[in-house]
Amino acid sequence: MATVAERPRGLRLAVVGKGGAGKSVVSGTLARVLARRGHRVLALDSDTLPGIAWSIGAGVSEEDDVPLNSAAWRDEKGRWHLNKGVGPARAVQRYATTAPDGVRLLQIGKNDRRGVGPNRASHNAFWQIVQRLDEPSSLQSWTFLGDLPAGARQAAYNWAPYARQFLLVVEPTYQSMMTARRIARIMRTMRGDDVEISLVVNKAAADGDGERVQEFLDVPLLAVVPVDEGVTTAERAGVALLDLVPDSPVVRAIEGLADVLDAASIERI
Amino acid sequence: MKIVVAGKGGVGKTTVSGTISRALARAGHDVLALDADTNPMLGVSLGVGPEETDLLVAVRQGLETGETEHEETTEGFVRRFGRDAPDGVRLVVASRIDRPNPGCACCGVSAESLLTELESDGKIIIGDLEAGIGTVMRLQEGHADIVLVVAQPTAKSLFIAKRAVELTDDRGGRVIVIANRVRNDEDLEVIREAVGDCEMVVVPDDAAIALADREGRAAIDVDPNSPGVRVLIDLADRLASLAVPV
Repeated sequence: MATVAERPRGLRLAVVGKGGAGKSVVSGTLARVLARRGHRVLALDSDTLPGIAWSIGAGVSEEDDVPLNSAAWRDEKGRWHLNKGVGPARAVQRYATTAPDGVRLLQIGKNDRRGVGPNRASHNAFWQIVQRLDEPSSLQSWTFLGDLPAGARQAAYNWAPYARQFLLVVEPTYQSMMTARRIARIMRTMRGDDVEISLVVNKAAADGDGERVQEFLDVPLLAVVPVDEGVTTAERAGVALLDLVPDSPVVRAIEGLADVLDAASIERI
Repeated sequence: MKIVVAGKGGVGKTTVSGTISRALARAGHDVLALDADTNPMLGVSLGVGPEETDLLVAVRQGLETGETEHEETTEGFVRRFGRDAPDGVRLVVASRIDRPNPGCACCGVSAESLLTELESDGKIIIGDLEAGIGTVMRLQEGHADIVLVVAQPTAKSLFIAKRAVELTDDRGGRVIVIANRVRNDEDLEVIREAVGDCEMVVVPDDAAIALADREGRAAIDVDPNSPGVRVLIDLADRLASLAVPV
């Protein structure tokens, strides 16, 4: 069996769902779990609000500009261009920061009270980079994991054209399930059979929660993640669950998710 | 009077909007509940039911496919894209969900334009905003008399709540923070520390609200006497008293 590093192509994942469903905790933990198993992981954060950086344990600086803000420039007509010589591979090399376990994190700037303005360069650079992220041969074996902004409408933006598998992170509440159903419909309309859509049930509190959500959405269920006090504590402190409560049942469930994703990718080879 | 409800996704904006709307209507007020979220869910929290809520969204989406004709007047919009909810609340869905741009260019309808154009004249308008701070940034004079910022004790929620409070303060608007899902003093402390010295209402973590979320019902229908729901009903009373001209 090929080791992770020897596989020709890494995973191509994006995590979607309603705000508060736990996208960042799932994607941040999954990124590090995959990295510990030998994946070269690029975590992609296109949220204008802080998300995965806290959950991955990279911390968030409120004041500093993200590196990506210096990756693009605007011409007189107001059009944005990546700096000369900056393609996807170089952008990752130059503008992705290093998070724990060697995960590389490429993120857009976060909204502050000044609004989007100061971070517009990073948004445009990010968008252009992800459109061509699948092209460089040097990145083929990397695993891409995008943490997408919350909500249904966000699925209509093309933030993750590299993704082949969309993980719907869903709580066993109606609002969360309905949001996921809306996202799945929009994704299917946009991408057709080009993508796999599957389900991670999060904050499962009762027996049968996983099945209940799966029945509502009718997509393959990959993992059921239990509700856990450890997550609440980590989220309050703004630190990674893996660092604060490494033996949390949530971590174990996400390790199980990594098993499933890995096994499926080996089968595809 | 116009009240808008803001905060991070998943903090409980819709529960707050729905419960306050129902409580105000029960107290005899004329209430228009405006779902200005691009992921409209207010119907669920008002007690209209999940599938009915999605149907209402589908009518709005029908504009795109030509199944629905466009509506140019605000009154017509309220009639066409609305429905009655329990206790006599009128629910209107403002946004579409399938496009990067949630407004409708030819009707010119957006959450902000509706907030501007809807006359409150005796009505109380409750606007459930899109998650995050985008709409709060775009709020102008006349959009809202009071901004309710819902926060829960997580770093991400407080990042957003803090900015929503600052933005509203900068504009000289009145803001009330709703500290939601508060389990203990520590929870309350982190919220207080983040949002500073502003008016605050504390909603304790509440089993009835959690059950309502799981079942897709209105919290006020699950248990109007649960501790969390009671706090919101009291808040509705206070808001109503502010609406009466002195």
